[in-house]
Amino acid sequence: MVLLALVLIPLIAAVLLLALRPAAATARGLALTSSLLTLALTLWLWYTWNGTAVTAINHDWVPAWGMRLVLGYSGIGLLMLVLTAVLFPFIIGTGYKQPVGNGALVNALLLFCQAALFGVFMAQNAFLFYIFFELTLLPIFFLLLRWGGEHKRSITIRFFLYTLLGGLALLFSIAYVTLQTPVPHSADFTALAALDLPMDVQLWLFWAMFLAFAIKMPIFPFHSWQPETYTMAPTQGTMVLSAVMGKMGIYGIVVFLFTILPEGSAHWRHVVVGLSLFGAIYAAVIAFRQDNFKRLVAYSSMSHMGLMCAALFALNTYGISGGLYQTFAHGVLMVCLFYIAGMMHQRVGSHHFAQMGGMKSAMPRLALLFMLVVGNAIAMPLTQSFPGEWLMFTGLWRMEPWLALAGVVLIVLGAIYMLYAYQRVLLGPDRSHTAPDADGEEHFLLVPLIAICFLVGLFPNLVLQLVDAPVQQLLNSFTSLP
Amino acid sequence: MSALIVISVLAVAVLYLGIFSNKNVLAPVTILGLVAATALLASGWYIPHDLLHGMLDFDRTATAFSMGMAVVAMLVFAFGPDYYARKQWHVAEQYALMLFSLVGGLLLASWTNLLMLFLGIEVLSIPLYVLAGGKKRSLRSSEASLKYFLLGSFATAFLLMGITLLYGLTGSFDMGVLGTFMAAQAAPNMMLNFGLFFVLAGMAFKVGAVPLHFWKPDVYQGAPTLVTTFMATVVLMAAIVGLHRFIDVTGMPQSLAATMALLVLATLLVGNLLALRQTNFKRLMAYSSVSHSGFLLLALLANADTVGSTLLYYTFTYALATVGLFILFTIAKRANNGAEHLGIFKGLFAANPVMALCALALLLSLAGIPLTAGFVAKYQVFLLAIGAGWLKVMAFGVLMALVGIYYYVMVARELFLPAEQPVTFTVAPLNGLVITLCTIAVLALGLWPAWLI
Repeated sequence: MVLLALVLIPLIAAVLLLALRPAAATARGLALTSSLLTLALTLWLWYTWNGTAVTAINHDWVPAWGMRLVLGYSGIGLLMLVLTAVLFPFIIGTGYKQPVGNGALVNALLLFCQAALFGVFMAQNAFLFYIFFELTLLPIFFLLLRWGGEHKRSITIRFFLYTLLGGLALLFSIAYVTLQTPVPHSADFTALAALDLPMDVQLWLFWAMFLAFAIKMPIFPFHSWQPETYTMAPTQGTMVLSAVMGKMGIYGIVVFLFTILPEGSAHWRHVVVGLSLFGAIYAAVIAFRQDNFKRLVAYSSMSHMGLMCAALFALNTYGISGGLYQTFAHGVLMVCLFYIAGMMHQRVGSHHFAQMGGMKSAMPRLALLFMLVVGNAIAMPLTQSFPGEWLMFTGLWRMEPWLALAGVVLIVLGAIYMLYAYQRVLLGPDRSHTAPDADGEEHFLLVPLIAICFLVGLFPNLVLQLVDAPVQQLLNSFTSLP
Repeated sequence: MSALIVISVLAVAVLYLGIFSNKNVLAPVTILGLVAATALLASGWYIPHDLLHGMLDFDRTATAFSMGMAVVAMLVFAFGPDYYARKQWHVAEQYALMLFSLVGGLLLASWTNLLMLFLGIEVLSIPLYVLAGGKKRSLRSSEASLKYFLLGSFATAFLLMGITLLYGLTGSFDMGVLGTFMAAQAAPNMMLNFGLFFVLAGMAFKVGAVPLHFWKPDVYQGAPTLVTTFMATVVLMAAIVGLHRFIDVTGMPQSLAATMALLVLATLLVGNLLALRQTNFKRLMAYSSVSHSGFLLLALLANADTVGSTLLYYTFTYALATVGLFILFTIAKRANNGAEHLGIFKGLFAANPVMALCALALLLSLAGIPLTAGFVAKYQVFLLAIGAGWLKVMAFGVLMALVGIYYYVMVARELFLPAEQPVTFTVAPLNGLVITLCTIAVLALGLWPAWLI
């Protein structure tokens, strides 16, 4: 019942917003209330979780194709649910200080998206997963098409087609594997995991499925939609895309590739790790060269996602739990960074570093908040990113020691571009900016987020305990690894 | 049988009603007659009817398709009163011709004898040649009529050629005889292959498969919109079920399968790529209907047990969305002084949000977005193709589905843009009802596809 409520509450709130079209302030209030309600429910799920997978709803839908309504969660799914629930109040809250467009419509679209995201992470049937997976796309598509920045039309269409291509590849794979299950066909994850597909099928099917998730994250060389889209999108849209929707890729890799195609994943893992790490370093280098703050954050997001994907494909406890842990840390971080980018844009009217600089003396409080976030971004000890990066590097080291070298390069590059960005935004000659310092509302949003960063940094087990058992279970299917 | 008689008598009766030049009674009479025919069809569901010495067979497939065609025809006729409101003459004839064409559709749904196939195709097509030229003073309409007639005659010639060859081989027009003959063939038989090929080619014309698709855009554009709607829906259903009955008996021999696969690839490619370039809504719908034919042929190529239900589901839901959209198109066209480009949908959301959302749902269904019937339909086709092992053809189909989504979404985008000059969309109550019904049906069938499967 709680699970159904998680999808229905945002959905009902969104429909209410669409039907009543209230003023922007009321709309935001309603959206915020709905998101806080789902947050409370999710935290309750987390609190009562006892380490076993839960299946709450189980109905037939279209029996002929194994399409069934099955909702539930494992520890990994719960982590994603918590991530979605924690971030959406902040994403909706961003609208208070940095409003876009028509308040009722924007918030309705965000809530639709949240409902679909909850659905993705709860679906225990591949078909249901696919439907929610595609449904997340529609609200974002309209959000971007309507309220995006320069060149919104061409960029949005490219993003839409790119991700649809991945989605259709996924649909193709789902249809194929469902037909391989014994009659009556079932697309439930449990039924699909029980399949023992021949090696040659696993080898090509791996790429059909990987394409969908690689585009979503994105992973080099399927990333070309990402920087433009993140830069052009309104802040809230970018937050949803980078902080939550990208994580569908990570989640998909774990529930689809690792469980249905273990041999295929093991066979191709070197290629995937190579692509991901190359992409991560490539993105980090490009990030360093950016003169646009938002685009820099976009590339840094891509760099982090690449590292996470590489860690997952190390296929050991450290790598997988590190990658999953980092999805949470990265999500929180992205909301912080894009919020700060939005604040800067409001103050100087541009994302370009050329317009910034020397703002520290005028806005000391903002400088402090930004410093704390940067500390997280470069994985200082005691921040939330530190345990994650440590786990990921250990995982890669266990796979191939020299891969950890790439990790070291990434740390150094990450520190360079983030600190360099900080320097270009805040330090330098005083330009006597007249813009105001961070105000109460902005503190109200950033302080809790930073508090989460440090809380999780100090007690990483809050997150790690969720994924421990499922990861061990997952690894059992890889016992025959070379 | 009774349904065939009812519809034929109905058509004649409607012709006589034309004498009284009271066109208000035409649509209600036709629709009531069709309801009766549908009820008769439904009552025969459990009794397989073998008619005219086994020349027609109203089995489950035939009955289901006939009912589907009758229902869609009712929706098209419900659009009639508004569409013909400003027309004084020959309205009754138009209704009657469409009813005659529907009779042809019923024959195509139930034929088991090659003569009946030919008869069905002709009864279906000849009224359409006349109907396409329904706007007598419009050059485009006359062009459509002539073009359709000439090309259609060619296709008929192909079909006859094929039937002749098959008759020459088996000495019978009966499909059962052909089936046993083919089962007994061990070595490839040139004459048989040519016979099958020519029949396939003749039918492919009606479906609009590339390279026999050239008539579609011009005829769709030139014909009166109501007739276009009828052609895009009922006629497509009839042609597909006719072809299905043929392939159901002959199966998919190696020689035919290669041709068919090539046909599918070409149809998907050309239909979708040319649809991308269209700025006229009717031409866009024509090319997109070519692309939908490609998916239908893909299902036929797979030729599994469930192909009949898949084809019915696909064509029926496609017809629902198409009827709704063509009515919306007429509304928008009137609001823009007869313009037909895609921009006429601008401002619909601001003026009439309910109709705009209906249009959005119908377009997304044609595009095949999840939770709409169009998605379920495409998914069934993909399942069939995978099951039959046509993986590469299907992967190409998936890619082309992506292109399809693009141009439908581009039309959907117009709905939400502000209009350049103020326009007023007048939605007649009956039209609004039909559009809403179509939308509800498309969404409901998308959410609970088990109803029809």
